[in-house]
Amino acid sequence: MKIDCTIDGKTLTLSLNSDKPLSLILRENMGNEETVNHCNGMMCGLCTVLVDGKAVLSCMVPAFEIRGKSVITFDSFRRSRDMKDIEKAYEAVGAYPCSDCYASRSLIFHSLVDEGVTDRNQIIKELSIVRCHCLDAESQVKIVQKAIEIRRKRYVRRTQLT
Amino acid sequence: MYEGLSSPNIHTPENIPEYASIVLHYPSASIWAGGTFIMTRPDAYPSKRLNAEIIHLGKIEELHRFQRNDRFAEFGSMVTLDEILSTGKSVLPKVLIDNISTIGSRLITRRATIGGSIATSGFTTSFPATLIVLDATAEVRFMKKKRLHSKWMQLTRLLDKNGRITLPQNGLISRVRIAFTDKNLQVFDETGSFMNDPENAVSVSFAATLDQDVLINPRIAFTFPNHGICYSRDIDNIFTTLRFPLDDSEVMTLESIIFTFIDSMFQTLSPLQRTRTKGLLTNIIDRINEESLTIPTEEKNL
Repeated sequence: MKIDCTIDGKTLTLSLNSDKPLSLILRENMGNEETVNHCNGMMCGLCTVLVDGKAVLSCMVPAFEIRGKSVITFDSFRRSRDMKDIEKAYEAVGAYPCSDCYASRSLIFHSLVDEGVTDRNQIIKELSIVRCHCLDAESQVKIVQKAIEIRRKRYVRRTQLT
Repeated sequence: MYEGLSSPNIHTPENIPEYASIVLHYPSASIWAGGTFIMTRPDAYPSKRLNAEIIHLGKIEELHRFQRNDRFAEFGSMVTLDEILSTGKSVLPKVLIDNISTIGSRLITRRATIGGSIATSGFTTSFPATLIVLDATAEVRFMKKKRLHSKWMQLTRLLDKNGRITLPQNGLISRVRIAFTDKNLQVFDETGSFMNDPENAVSVSFAATLDQDVLINPRIAFTFPNHGICYSRDIDNIFTTLRFPLDDSEVMTLESIIFTFIDSMFQTLSPLQRTRTKGLLTNIIDRINEESLTIPTEEKNL
């Protein structure tokens, strides 16, 4: 099956099995083995990517569902301005995710910041999908709240300049 | 890897008649809603079936609709659990909201659909039991003599004797109607992980109106993911005859009656599942006892 999609800003036509999970596409076809895990649907949360701007578990997305969609992995996201906000929040709070879950957690943080989620319980629930205990709940809440603050300031500065 | 294997054909009907014609051509096609269950199976990829056909329901607009009036809410079967939470959090019954909230992250609830949660074959989620407790009805579309028929059915009528939701062959749930309820006692509780440890997980849904010391129209349903749903009118009737609060001996009698029924239905419950079921039942009885001993706010004000 031929599938047209955009992965990390590149428009591609991939010849794939129609039910192949996105996590395997990224690992095997795109060579993105460092930042995307494939747990065979065990919901480890370490395969998170952004599809059309929303965080999803890539092991749950079959190939036919990414037709015409834009997929962003941590590989390209790490170079964006949005990631800089998250990094600043890590620094301000003084808590960093471990190397195993850094990519997934950062993408989920970004998705929460993008939606402006400030509710403590919702943040904790959302991040509970990542099965890694390197960050405590309180730090995660602080990171999201700090990142929202940093991003808001950036947007205000940008509007003032224009 | 596995690219040489035959790739399943994907059919994406855009309306129900188109779906019917595809089903006529490919009666053994598997129906794909959100894919959360299919993709979490260890043998999901590569598909073992040769010439597999998949019907993806995501493009059928009718199944994404949501409507509400003052008596009930009606959801298309492709409405996701996250959409249910965001559209009806303030009006939908508490037991339903609690059930969706326990599922966890929105990374899952954004993909899981109401229809898929009810009609997954070979696995039972906690969702149908909650809908049974709420006396929900579903519109079932099915093929008969090469024609598509539709029928509104109570979810209890879709339960077979093994406690599984069973649809007619090539049947499809297109809409689910949930009545707004004023039951003042609604409990949903779950222990264990339904997806990762189905052998030991169990959930319970309960709804009733507590009027002084008696329960009016109580409904209780247990879900054992690898076995099915345990629901019986007989158990509901036993709850109706009780006067709360119950003392220890009454609680023990009630537990033994309920376990006799559960054992007659599912013989192979794991010991942990039994212990957890007992714990959940005790929690509910404690809660009813507590509520029955509390003076209602209206009386307090007098």
